[in-house]
Amino acid sequence: MSKILKRYVPFMQAGVQSLIIYRMNFIGFVIGGLIYCFVMFYLWKAVFESSGGGEFFGFSMADMVVYLFLSNTTTQLTYSSVSTTIGEEIRDGSISMRLLKPVNTDLSYMFSELGEVMIKVAVLLLPIIIGLEIYRFRTTGVIMFNAVNFILYLLSVVLAYIISFRVNLCFGFIAFYVKNLWGINILKNSLIGFLSGSLIPLAFMPSTLRVCLEYMPFASMAYTPVMIYMGKYEVNEMLFRLGLQAVWAVLLYGFSKLIWLGAIKKLSVQGG
Amino acid sequence: MIYAEHLRKEFKKTVKDPGLKGSFKALFNPKKEIVVAADDITFHVPEGEILGFIGPNGAGKSTVIKMLTGILTPTSGECRINGKIPTNDRKKYVKEIGAVFGQRTQLWWDLPLQETYHVLKEIYEVDDYKFKKRMDFLNEVLELEKFIKSPVRTLSLGQRMRADIAASMLHSPKVLFLDEPTIGLDVVVKDNIRQAIMKINKEEKTTVVLTTHDISDIELLCDRIVMIDKGKNVYDGSLHKLRENYGQTRELVFETDNSSKLTEEQFRKGLNLKKSDLVVEREQNSFKVKFNSKKIPVGEMLGYTLSLTKVKDISVKDADIEEIIRSLYRQGGASDE
Repeated sequence: MSKILKRYVPFMQAGVQSLIIYRMNFIGFVIGGLIYCFVMFYLWKAVFESSGGGEFFGFSMADMVVYLFLSNTTTQLTYSSVSTTIGEEIRDGSISMRLLKPVNTDLSYMFSELGEVMIKVAVLLLPIIIGLEIYRFRTTGVIMFNAVNFILYLLSVVLAYIISFRVNLCFGFIAFYVKNLWGINILKNSLIGFLSGSLIPLAFMPSTLRVCLEYMPFASMAYTPVMIYMGKYEVNEMLFRLGLQAVWAVLLYGFSKLIWLGAIKKLSVQGG
Repeated sequence: MIYAEHLRKEFKKTVKDPGLKGSFKALFNPKKEIVVAADDITFHVPEGEILGFIGPNGAGKSTVIKMLTGILTPTSGECRINGKIPTNDRKKYVKEIGAVFGQRTQLWWDLPLQETYHVLKEIYEVDDYKFKKRMDFLNEVLELEKFIKSPVRTLSLGQRMRADIAASMLHSPKVLFLDEPTIGLDVVVKDNIRQAIMKINKEEKTTVVLTTHDISDIELLCDRIVMIDKGKNVYDGSLHKLRENYGQTRELVFETDNSSKLTEEQFRKGLNLKKSDLVVEREQNSFKVKFNSKKIPVGEMLGYTLSLTKVKDISVKDADIEEIIRSLYRQGGASDE
């Protein structure tokens, strides 16, 4: 295990290193996300006020605030740019350099990203959680923070990241066939935004659609962890959701491996 | 050590008619065309040999190297290196080889060079003692000290190339694939790199496959050359033999005063030679005669020229390998069309 870590940790360090060098990029990413959250906040505030206050599909305004900020943060945490990275590497041919190294290709991609995820936990997730809890305390007058839910949330985020990574990996492998992934990535991002519930809580959807979406892997990427944090699930349902996440993680792992075996034969390195 | 048997690689390419209309047509009804980048390439390389793998641009050299390094899967044919088929167990296979692609880098763009080497040390599982010894050796031959603390993206081309070569040799590979390792470099750096290749080949019996457009790389390093053109084998043999078979061209440079008005026509008629056997290039106060010494001995040529004009100075040049290869390329191209 430590041997494996020793071989892959450098990829993580390299990821952190480039994050630090291109930190404006990262800061822009974070601030952009926050601005988006506030826009959504005012939008939903208007919706709640015009519907006469009170609850909306079991969500109070305070719930909505937590949902908005946390789902956005979760999406950023579980966001994987591996499909873009693979697309880039295939377009410019530098994927051959990765294939020359005696390492597992998908693990090397994953570890390059993990450094960034950890930094996001420190500079994004923790402040957001603290901010949200202060907000909840001031609006309701009680401390609503639940440590168990928070820990389960983290567990769920780990699974969510694995799912997101594998889904993105599969999309990335499409680049072996189509050479340029730009359009496909935009399609994928908007699909995930909608299907994962980070745009609109899945609870607001018509019930048949909601049930379908909840079973899809995308819901696991933002909706499930946030609902767990908010304590919206009974114990049984929560365990079921976590189990479902785990099942998707395993299935997508297998699926991505399968695609890889086919895709690698199709590789044609452009130029050089 | 290296066996390449009937390697063939096809790529699918979408062809598009020119202009906007063509683009639209290609969008809805793409026409696919199969491009054969390598066709029936066969060669063997024994252990410890330095093989020069040459050919004009677009001949398929890089494609073949990419198949040998396990990056591309051959459409048909097989290669076996060190008893392994590259694409079968890529992870294990690449541990035994080193590769440099002159136009890319395998270094981490944002890491200081030194750290990159430590990363590679972990990835290739080189132990501390060997690593230290190796770094000392590479430092000495490639002079890395000056820039080993700088991030890779700040290195100059020559520095980066030296760093890349060092990275490919770090884990003492059994086979080294170098795809244009001297491209765009100055003489000093080229010499550094050649030294490194030679030393590692001598000391560790590393097998080296080298592609290059630089003829002196080949003359200094290679025991044998394989030449391909348009994806096919054209020549396989020693440099010496190539020179013997094709290297009949000699070059005489005569320095004269302005008054000499000898023409190519005159030479050809006077000596009864074909166009392919004799070329004259005129400059201000001199002219250069390139001719096939099989058809006319050097002495006779000299005598003939001296009888026609006043000559101040003469110099004779031996068969230039570059010239030979150029003529071989031309022959290969001509026979195809």
